[in-house]
Amino acid sequence: MQYNSYMYLFAFLIPVVILYYIIPIKYRWGVLLTASIVFYLFSSKYLIVSILFTSLLVYLAAKNIEDRNLKFKEIKKSLEKPERKLLKEKNEKKNNLVCGLVAIISLGILFFSKYLNFAGNIANSFCRLLNINMQFETVHLLMPLGISFYTLSAIAYVIDVKRGVCEAEKKPLKIFLFLSFFPTVTEGPIERYKNVGKMLSTGHSFDYKTFCFGLQLMMWGLFKKIVVADNLNRYVMVVFRDYKNFGNWVIILMVLVYTLELYADFSGCIDIARGSAELFGIELSENFKQPFVSKTVNEFWQRWNITLGSFLRDYVFYPVSLSTGFQNLSKKSKKVFNNYYATTVPMIFALFMVWLCNGLWHGSEVKYVVYGLYYYAILTLGLLLEPLFKKIFESLNINRESKGYQRCQIARTFILVNIGMMIFNSKDIASAKEMFFAMFKPSAISNIPQELLNTGMQSPAMVLLFIIPVIIFAFVGHFHEQGISIREYLAQKPLFYRWSFYLAGVAVIISLGAYGVGFKGADFIYAQF
Amino acid sequence: MNIEKVIEVLNEVKPGVDFSKENDLVERHILSSMEIVMLVSELSEEFDVDIPLPEVVPENFYSAQTIAKLIERMEDED
Repeated sequence: MQYNSYMYLFAFLIPVVILYYIIPIKYRWGVLLTASIVFYLFSSKYLIVSILFTSLLVYLAAKNIEDRNLKFKEIKKSLEKPERKLLKEKNEKKNNLVCGLVAIISLGILFFSKYLNFAGNIANSFCRLLNINMQFETVHLLMPLGISFYTLSAIAYVIDVKRGVCEAEKKPLKIFLFLSFFPTVTEGPIERYKNVGKMLSTGHSFDYKTFCFGLQLMMWGLFKKIVVADNLNRYVMVVFRDYKNFGNWVIILMVLVYTLELYADFSGCIDIARGSAELFGIELSENFKQPFVSKTVNEFWQRWNITLGSFLRDYVFYPVSLSTGFQNLSKKSKKVFNNYYATTVPMIFALFMVWLCNGLWHGSEVKYVVYGLYYYAILTLGLLLEPLFKKIFESLNINRESKGYQRCQIARTFILVNIGMMIFNSKDIASAKEMFFAMFKPSAISNIPQELLNTGMQSPAMVLLFIIPVIIFAFVGHFHEQGISIREYLAQKPLFYRWSFYLAGVAVIISLGAYGVGFKGADFIYAQF
Repeated sequence: MNIEKVIEVLNEVKPGVDFSKENDLVERHILSSMEIVMLVSELSEEFDVDIPLPEVVPENFYSAQTIAKLIERMEDED
């Protein structure tokens, strides 16, 4: 059930909202739970057992950790210091073991349903290379809806209970609701229990303002998805599929258009998800914060798919780079390198783990691994060359804090991100490589094949379709970057202006959206992950 | 006072920022996650404290003041 379908918007969401507010406040979480089960069964049928199993697993694991910690708290005052320390260490080891088991089992399920064929293909390539007569058959596997998203939330929950960041939930069904909550299960945001756990399980009274904000956000998301992303998809598909038939300018333009499409598609989906949750008074985490004003690639990933980036930061990057082993390595390195490189060395190892995980998380294809490692290479080079850059800029008397320099940084990051997007959307690595070099081979723009012309490529509509959303996104992004909430601004306007604006928005979606009889809109891109 | 020393360490990790005035180091992307790792490593050495992972959260790194408070807390726990 797609978030932009009639089925979701009218046949599913409206009855759930009505039911939610007519049922006594105490039982409202039950409505969300039932709705999430129906939503999941509709999309993944019997594969619901996978998310049920993961929920039960993390519920038991967190309870086990919390029981042990509580028991320790109770008896610690009666113990002498050495005994207390010993018991604390013993408990810590047991808690780590539980966390490790949860990670292995839940990542094992993810591996089995998402990466088995990928691993088989790699093994087959090795066998061929080594002349070993062995072949792994491709297995037809069905992937449970949102497995890449809920697996990360599940692991984060158990680790957070171990770290004392949140308390273990007493009711297993509430954990199931947390992992399967219908607005987040398809494409995230990857939520933390400490942020939404209470909100999900406490019923909310109807609040007109929050409800209207939810509807606005959904409308904004639908505009991004149906009007921008789905319309642009028709052009992008043709060029990325038959890139050999196109001139370099068409390829460059379509890489830019794809970046816009992916942004509109993914952030649009998140807006619909966050808007849907707001209808029930639940505020989900933001997943995008004006990513295209980033000055560095690192900053880009703090603004794009924020919840994935923060998961990898908190549960991979920090634990690896701040682990005792790597900190000792850093101290030892200080004898050989200067302070800067000594602290950088552990980070380079930790970053490798982060970007390998990031690439693999996106999909079970070599191109996604390369996509992750592409960012790793940029960040590592940046880190290693920073002292050199510093010297060069100082000798050239360039102020790195100046507006001009920062604009150059934004432009550089934008180009690097677009190259990443090209790898991301290419058929495979060989195509990405060919497309990349084709961008530098001058050719006449007139060699646009008929197939693309048939999609309306040369019509002014195409230009408007690209330019107008860019202007709108830049305008909205500018205000958000200044800390100005457009929704709050609208809320203060008189009723007539407010509703004229909403109706105009609905009219734009209805009249310009890519939908209708015989038209199949593109699936949400991140839903496949 | 810890705060002056904290600002010194912050300036070593990220020169060119007035850390006595900035109070939104994480949200405004002044400190990246990589710089936070460098900072934790430098602070641990400078103040001879262990900063455990659960403490490496944005709330503790908003400003030089919150970092100084974190150090004081860690010193007390030691």
